Amino acid sequence: MRPAAMPAATAATVAPAAKPARARSTFYFVWRALISDRFALLGTVIVGGFILTAIFAPWIAPYGPDDADPALRLQGMGTEGHIFGLDNHGRDVLSRLIYGTRLSLIAGLAPVLLGGIIAVPLGLIAAYYERFGHLIMRVMDVLFAFPMVLLAIMLAFFLGPGLENLVIALVVVLVPYNTRVVYVQALAERELGYVEAARAAASSDLRIMFGEMLPHVVAASVVYSMTIVGTIIVTAAGLSFLGLGVQPPTAEWGIMTSEGRTVLHIAPHASTLPGIAIFLLVIGFNLVGDALRDALDPRTRLVRVKLARGEQTSPEAEPDPVPRVPV
Amino acid sequence: MWKFAGIRTLHAIPVLIGVTFVVFGSLQLVPGDIANTLLSMFYTEERGEALRAQLGLDKPLLVQYGIWVWNLLHGDLGQSMMLRQPVAEVLLDKIGNSLILTGASLLIVIPVSFLLGTTAARRFRTATDRSIVFFAMLLASLPVFWLGIVLLYLLGVNIKWFPMSGMYNMANPGGFPDLIHHLVLPAVTTAATSVAIVTRVTRGALIDTLGQPYILSARARGLSDFRVTYRHGVRNVMPTFANMCGLQIGYLFGGSIFTEIIFNWPGIGLLLYNAILQRDVPMVQGCILAIAVVFVLANLLADIIVYGLDVRRR
Repeated sequence: MRPAAMPAATAATVAPAAKPARARSTFYFVWRALISDRFALLGTVIVGGFILTAIFAPWIAPYGPDDADPALRLQGMGTEGHIFGLDNHGRDVLSRLIYGTRLSLIAGLAPVLLGGIIAVPLGLIAAYYERFGHLIMRVMDVLFAFPMVLLAIMLAFFLGPGLENLVIALVVVLVPYNTRVVYVQALAERELGYVEAARAAASSDLRIMFGEMLPHVVAASVVYSMTIVGTIIVTAAGLSFLGLGVQPPTAEWGIMTSEGRTVLHIAPHASTLPGIAIFLLVIGFNLVGDALRDALDPRTRLVRVKLARGEQTSPEAEPDPVPRVPV
Repeated sequence: MWKFAGIRTLHAIPVLIGVTFVVFGSLQLVPGDIANTLLSMFYTEERGEALRAQLGLDKPLLVQYGIWVWNLLHGDLGQSMMLRQPVAEVLLDKIGNSLILTGASLLIVIPVSFLLGTTAARRFRTATDRSIVFFAMLLASLPVFWLGIVLLYLLGVNIKWFPMSGMYNMANPGGFPDLIHHLVLPAVTTAATSVAIVTRVTRGALIDTLGQPYILSARARGLSDFRVTYRHGVRNVMPTFANMCGLQIGYLFGGSIFTEIIFNWPGIGLLLYNAILQRDVPMVQGCILAIAVVFVLANLLADIIVYGLDVRRR
């Protein structure tokens, strides 16, 4: 037997005691996620440091990216005035690393941003109009049939060299994955009450998609985008390593690795230091991405609150480990 | 099982057709005169004419595609401009070497990620778990080409434990042991990213499974933690694990391009790299097509095997 329903009078006396939950903005959760966890903080510091380095490159770098001192070429780390040594043309490795930060950040962030701008409406429309959606997803299936790096290599090769073409190639590679994330999310949203309510209120399709559903699917796309930035940076550097995309003598980490490889025996610093820079930057973005994912996923948010209070959580409530799309 | 295999195979056909479209269509991305732009500094009147004739650039696009596919079905991928040999012949020659490398990497990925993933899940939210998760994050952040160079420098140049390049010792080929000796560094390099991914997914899946009631009942019956994890838990994670490993075949195959360049491994990746440098268009297209087809077929095979493994779906 269940207890009888409470009379209305009792409910009224209870109501003032229950404080309304304070609504927190998304930014609050993002900010908390970035500074609360040790790893997330580390990621924030790394990424922030690289961004500052990129902005203030001309002031930080001891030399210009193309200034060469042929007399000192291939001198190792710790050479006077050149902490990180010099490369095979006698250029200062540290300065080139600092200037290279700019290109790696652009090559990592621009495709993710542009890809998101394309993928969100595409995924929404695909989820809203079923037939169109099936068509789009079949096209995406074909693009999924290529490993990410391979597709990027092919596009960069045929589009030709240059930063713009590199970014275009990476956008094309990224859009299918991001679209799928939005599509799956939007399919679930479409079945919810608020969409039906909007339809009952005779809202236009456009209004339902971009006025009602958009705010709910953007978070998924942003989270996905943040977890993929690192992969895109590695891919971009990999393409320049192969001689595609950005061309020498530009100070770019992939190019530096590739040029340094030929002198690995005598000057290992020339090829390994740029790799360490890529590694660090990618770690930073991956840590930030993981933290953002945890912050923006409502399920995880709950888990974190419970964990902070020392309550038990069920393993099912743990966030799904989102597999990073392998390179 | 066979019905599933049949249906799944039928699904792969439109994808394969789409792949040929993409590989063929990529040529249309080239700005300006295709022959002139593609060959750039390698352009000569003679080479340009040869390329135009070979690509059939004077005909309408659909006709070009038709001819290309027709030739493809007859095993003709055109003539390599750098090697002056049929592309298909060269590809067949090299694909085995790439598959050896892929297989060896897979032999590293499977046990390592299984061990790491299950251990992390068993020790969920302990220091062990967190360090494995962190280690996987580090592996996933590694640029493959950098890892290759570092391993090459540390273990090949400094301590001369492993040879620097190639598949066999040129001066003194030593058969199978020699091959293994040459294989270690490239295989480890190629495997790194995949180990990270499979570990993460295995851990997640096993954590989910270990939270289920039947595991609790197994524990209540007093079974050891080892038995509960590996006899009861892992069994339900196997399909996920096998599926992830199957997916990795394609990624390892496609991802080995950097490894092959750094270790001078004579496979499709190295071939593609040289073709890119030499602007050998038919060869580039051939390599990409070959890798994409292997990728699709590997995924197909993995799906069917996983279906067979999953008792619940029969």
